[in-house]
Amino acid sequence: MIWQFDFIILALALICAVASISLKDLLSAAIVFGAYSFVMCLLWTEMGAVDVAFTEAAVGAGVSTVFFLAAVLHTSRQVKPRRHGRFFYKFIGAAAALAIGGVLLAASADFPTWGDPASPASIHVSPHYIINTIPDTAVPNVVTSVLADYRGFDTMFETSVIFVAGLAVLAILGRFGRRTRDEAPAEFAAVPVAGQSPIIQAACRIMVPFMQLFALYVLAHGHHSPGGGFQGGVILAASFILIAISYDLRAMIGRLRERWNMVFASLGVMIYAGTGALCLLLGANFLDYSVLHRILPATSPIMARSHGMLAVEVGVCFTVMAVMVLIYVNIASHGKSDKGL
Amino acid sequence: MNTLFIASGVAILLLMLLTLYRAIAGPTAIDRLMAVNVIGTKTTVMLVIIGTIFHWLEMFVDIALAYALLNFIVTIATARYFHQRKNFTAAGFGLRHRKGGAEQ
Repeated sequence: MIWQFDFIILALALICAVASISLKDLLSAAIVFGAYSFVMCLLWTEMGAVDVAFTEAAVGAGVSTVFFLAAVLHTSRQVKPRRHGRFFYKFIGAAAALAIGGVLLAASADFPTWGDPASPASIHVSPHYIINTIPDTAVPNVVTSVLADYRGFDTMFETSVIFVAGLAVLAILGRFGRRTRDEAPAEFAAVPVAGQSPIIQAACRIMVPFMQLFALYVLAHGHHSPGGGFQGGVILAASFILIAISYDLRAMIGRLRERWNMVFASLGVMIYAGTGALCLLLGANFLDYSVLHRILPATSPIMARSHGMLAVEVGVCFTVMAVMVLIYVNIASHGKSDKGL
Repeated sequence: MNTLFIASGVAILLLMLLTLYRAIAGPTAIDRLMAVNVIGTKTTVMLVIIGTIFHWLEMFVDIALAYALLNFIVTIATARYFHQRKNFTAAGFGLRHRKGGAEQ
């Protein structure tokens, strides 16, 4: 924590937050909200929470603002004009917000100060993982081992929640029965369609493979550096969204059919739960990867836990990538999958 | 050496504050987009500076790389928004808000 940066970053975050909820133009609000996520990423980086910062970088900078833009495209750019003269309701709202905020502020006085070595979390919980992670799992990144191994159940259901979110978007927006889906894939046109910039298309076409390579690196290197399945999946999805934005939605669907996308989404959850079930079949607890050394050649129980984490991270990456692409396709095309942003 | 990096970090953050004025006050959405783009670029530099201060650069370069790769997607998406709306008038860019909120 660097105190010189703190005040400015917190001021930036506060200004961005207030501005993004008070702007009347929703497009501008979405853009300013993107700035807010930049600033939050800086704040987390500066506190040393690099994994959280990476997630915010991938989600905030990559896809969430694009989702907002796509939603604004299909709804309205203006907020509904409020009826004035409801002073009583405004008063009740302000009073409730101030009361709850005051209670929270009063409660925060009881918290230990930031980074206090004598706080309960630093005494009981953190040392256990910091001391035991390397002997137990041989994974240098404690965050990865806590997420994928010690708290594997939580992450499995988080993955399921992402999957269910994708299903919900499909159920609300997806239009079934009208078979415009899975038509013949549109090839990359040699001559760009009118209105599409050949410079942007060429630049994006060169960038996409490197983005996907970087995503795979983030996924595979999550044991040693910040990153992992979630961040890798979001960057992978961002590369597909980039194709859809720079060319058009059909060009992207030609490369990642919607049917296959759904298969990937469910495959990810299946890989995660299947790894757990495999441990169960081998006679250990659910998601107790150390027993996998019986079927993995040339591994010790410790390394088996490391490999088991990699397997579930791959599952998380599949689900996150597929669901992000699914949400983009359905929001950007209003469920019709014909043309998007 | 750390003083240099902290000073340059504070300078960049103050510049971000200045840019934020354009992002919030900017009359058109394009102004805001440009300002947020500049803030994103400065964020990339800030990530590397923070990494240098923590003597832990290899962790932070990954995040900065992800930022640099993903930062411009929002810009292209907004450009496509205006393209889809085919609303190249002053009102379309947000200079003046038309009454009723209906737009083509």
